[in-house]
Amino acid sequence: MRSFLATLTVLVWATTALAHQLNVFAFVEDGIVVVETKFSTGKVPVSGNVRVLDADAAVLHTLPLESDGTVRFPLDPDAAAKGITIEVITSEGHEDYWILTPEDIARGSGS
Amino acid sequence: MTALSITRRGTLAFLLSAAAFPVAAQDRPVIATDSYPLAYFAQRLGGGDIDVLFAVPSGTDPSFWRPGITDIAAIQGADLIALNGAGFSTWPTKASLPRSRTIDTSASFEDRLIRTDTVTHSHGEGGEHSHTATANYTWLDFSLAMEQARALADAMIRQMPDRASRIEMEREALLADLASLDADATELGQGAADVQMVASHPRYQYFGAAYGLMISSVEWDAQEEPTDAQWAALQALQATTGAGLFIWETDPSAASRERMSALGLTNVVFPPLAMTPTDGEFLELMKASLERLSAALK
Repeated sequence: MRSFLATLTVLVWATTALAHQLNVFAFVEDGIVVVETKFSTGKVPVSGNVRVLDADAAVLHTLPLESDGTVRFPLDPDAAAKGITIEVITSEGHEDYWILTPEDIARGSGS
Repeated sequence: MTALSITRRGTLAFLLSAAAFPVAAQDRPVIATDSYPLAYFAQRLGGGDIDVLFAVPSGTDPSFWRPGITDIAAIQGADLIALNGAGFSTWPTKASLPRSRTIDTSASFEDRLIRTDTVTHSHGEGGEHSHTATANYTWLDFSLAMEQARALADAMIRQMPDRASRIEMEREALLADLASLDADATELGQGAADVQMVASHPRYQYFGAAYGLMISSVEWDAQEEPTDAQWAALQALQATTGAGLFIWETDPSAASRERMSALGLTNVVFPPLAMTPTDGEFLELMKASLERLSAALK
């Protein structure tokens, strides 16, 4: 019975909205892409990797997360024209992404 | 001279009207949504004068859709972005959306959202922790669907006041249709007070709660045949609940249908319609599902 209830619980979890998760946010400031990460509990991931993908989903960079849960890197002008996607996977196994469209980048670059 | 004037006037009129078509096409407001029900509501409310952008590819679960950069760019450019809310889709939290043009259509009934069980697990260095969850197929309580339609209509009127009278007229027709679904489901529920049901996926929390239906669930992949282990788990659930009816979210194979019948469970197909259906529209398909369920309960 306990295993049955546990199975049911997992099933419910798998198809409903999760409140505990990794949140990624990225923005452009003076030509630098700033990536910020945080768990929904408020904690900052202790380590992990950041992948930067272009509009064709090709990986441009893979960078380690800083200890404060952030990463900064210069914006590639070619990628900026079509936008980039930031993917983060923490050492705990949580993952999330953020999409920066050309319009987002233009706003952040002061264009 | 008169003929020439008419011709000139006619040519001018033709040129003006020809020029007007692309302008008119560009001027059609665009409403982006994250679920098929909201796309259907927007289409109804717009009365054919708007374009609806529901970018999730056919066959993809909107709750798990990951948009591309061009998808997000198109959504950012919409006149209105209508979200189901209740955590239905994750992508709105993965990109910058214009706050003034984005609405959560379930915000007005946040206190009525159904919290589901939590699961505790651990991985990596984070230790044991819990995930809490919210059921999000809100529109299957048709009274909540009406609230979502009202919220969408209000937002559309704010964004496109020149179309207000048309939207208000279409809103009344849409609300009447949803009220009819609500009445049918209420009547169905009154005749099913003691019937235990199992659904192929945990999608029907609001439907069950609104209409007094006892629906437990398994989680079967709609695209795959259930495994022997899944059948065994279903039998265990049937033994625990005494269920006599099984709700499929998509049409099962003939073999699965037969095996279900052999277990003593009546097959009922009731698509929750989060995704765009291949045939038909929201209202007629929901009515048909209610009729199938009602017939199975008799």
